[in-house]
Amino acid sequence: MTERLRRIDILLIAGAFLLLLPFLKFQRTTDYIIFCVFVLSFDLIYGYMGRLSFGHMLFLGSGAYSVTLFAEHVSPNPFLSVLFAIVAAAAVGALLGPVVVRTTGAAFALINLAFNQVGHFLVLIAFARYTGGEDGMSAVFSKTGFLDFQDKRVLFGFCLACLLLTCWGMKRLTRSPFGILLRMIKENETRVKFLGYDTFRYKWAAYAISAGVAGFSGALSILNYGYVTPSFIDTNRNVEVIFASLIGGAGSIYGSLVGGVVFMAISNYLPTYIPRWEMFLGFGLLLLVFRFRMGIWGALSALEAFRPRREGEGG
Amino acid sequence: MPEEIILETRGVTKRFDGFAAVSGVNYRLREGESAGIIGPNGAGKTTFFNLLTGMFPPTEGTVLYRGADITRIPAHGRVGRGIVRTFQLVSVFDSLTVRENLVLALIRAGKEHAVSARFFLEDAWSGNLPDLSAGALGTVGLREKALWKTSELSYGDKRKLEIALALCLRPSVLLLDEPFAGLSDVEIVEVLELIHRVRKDFTLVIIEHKISRIVDLVSRLSVMHEGKLIAEGEPAEVLADPLVRQVYWGRP
Repeated sequence: MTERLRRIDILLIAGAFLLLLPFLKFQRTTDYIIFCVFVLSFDLIYGYMGRLSFGHMLFLGSGAYSVTLFAEHVSPNPFLSVLFAIVAAAAVGALLGPVVVRTTGAAFALINLAFNQVGHFLVLIAFARYTGGEDGMSAVFSKTGFLDFQDKRVLFGFCLACLLLTCWGMKRLTRSPFGILLRMIKENETRVKFLGYDTFRYKWAAYAISAGVAGFSGALSILNYGYVTPSFIDTNRNVEVIFASLIGGAGSIYGSLVGGVVFMAISNYLPTYIPRWEMFLGFGLLLLVFRFRMGIWGALSALEAFRPRREGEGG
Repeated sequence: MPEEIILETRGVTKRFDGFAAVSGVNYRLREGESAGIIGPNGAGKTTFFNLLTGMFPPTEGTVLYRGADITRIPAHGRVGRGIVRTFQLVSVFDSLTVRENLVLALIRAGKEHAVSARFFLEDAWSGNLPDLSAGALGTVGLREKALWKTSELSYGDKRKLEIALALCLRPSVLLLDEPFAGLSDVEIVEVLELIHRVRKDFTLVIIEHKISRIVDLVSRLSVMHEGKLIAEGEPAEVLADPLVRQVYWGRP
C-alpha cells in the first residue's frame, strides 16, 4: 500500500464496510465489524507479541456478560454499559495476566484455555442465578438522545465508528515504542531484558489491553443481538479468531480486518453449499500454515505492486 | 590515584545438575580498564558473563557493582546500572528494520522509558529518535542501511549493529562475548578498529578464545579453565605462565 493510501486508511476501511452493506443486511455487516474488533484484540497478543491463546473468548464473554449485567442492574445506558464492559474485561485480563504472561508457547495457549473453561463454567453453572445459565438472558438498553440502538442502521454506524476507533488506537499502539517492544518480545524476549526492559510488565499491559478490546467486541455483540448466552464465552469458538487471524495475516491491522471479513463470509456462506464445511476450512488452514504463513494480506503486500513490509508492522 | 573496583565477584559458582560450569571465581574489574577473559571452549567464560549480567543467579557467591550487592538483581535492572553486554551468537532483531533495533535502547538510556503515554501512543519516529539512531548507526558505519530489514544484513554488519545497540545504552561496563566469532578477516579488522575507537568511554571486558586477537586491546588478561580462574595479570606475563601454556598448547 502506498504511503498516501495508508494515510487515509481509516476512510478506506469505512468505505469498504459501506460497500459490504448492499450484499449483507445491516445486522450481518455489523456482525462482521464486531468480529473484526475481536480479531484486532487477538492480533495484539498473537501477531505482535507472538503469544498464541486458545482462550480469548473469555474476554469477549467477560465483555458480553458485563454489558448485560450492567444494563440490567446499574444503568441501561448503552454507552455506560459498553464502557463498563471494556473496563471489566480489561480488569479480568489484568488479574489473570501475572499468571498467564509468564508462560510461552503451548503453556500460554493452554493456560488461557483453562481460564476460559473456568469462565464458561462460572456463567453456565456457578453463577447461573445471575447469568441465566444455559438460557442466557436478554439485554435491554435505553434510547440515548437521538441514538436508538434498536434501529439497526444506527447500530451499524455506531459499531463502524467503534471499529475505526479501535483501528486508530491499534495503529497508534503498534507504531509506538511499545509496539516495537512487543515485536521484539515475539522474536527474542531474553534479548529485550538485556536492553533494560522488564518484559513482564509490558506483556502484562499488552494482555490487559487486548482483553479490554476483546471485551469491547463482546459488548458490541450484545448491543447487536440483544441477548447473551454461554456461547459468547464458549471455548470451542476460540478457533474462529485464530483462523481469521491466520487467513488475513497476523501482525497487521489490515490483515486482521481482511481475515475477520473473509472468515465471517466463509462461515456464513460455505455451509449453505457444503454441509461439512469445517473440513474444508481445515484443509484451507493446512494450506495457510504450510504454504501461506503470511495470510492474504501478507501475500498481497509481498506483490510487486505493493511496497514490502514497512516499519511499524509485524512480520 | 586509587582505582575504583566497578565490578566484582566473590566466590561465584554456578552448577547445572551438579556440574560446576563456574566454580568459586573471585574477579575484580577496575573502572576504566580493558580486560580480557580467555580460555578454551567450555571453560565457563560465557556462563561467567551470564552471572555478571544477570542472565541467572549464581548457585553460590555474590556479584558486586561499585561495592553494592547486585547478585539478585535481574538483567534489566543491571542494564539500568550500566552493565551492558553482547552475545556470542549475534543477537539482534531480524524481523525489524535496522534502526528499529535501536529505538528501545535509545529510549532506555534517555531514562524516560517508564510508563508514559508517549511510550505507548506516540509514533516511534516522531521525536528525535531518527537523528539519534542515525548517529549511532554512523558510529558503526551502518548509516546507509538504517531502513534495511535486519535479516538482509551480513553477519558482520549484524555484529556492528549489536555493538551499536550496546553503545546506545550508554554502558559504564561493556561486556563483549566473542565479538569476532564468525566474522571474516576483513570484518574482524573493522570491528577491532571500532572497539578501539569507542572503548575510552567505558570499562570493557572481552571474552575471546583466540589470544592473539585481543592481546593489543586489553591491559589485563584472565584465564579460565574448567570453570576456574587459573591465571591473571598483564597479557605478556599471563601468556608466559606455564599453567596457561599447558592448558592452551598442551606443553609448558
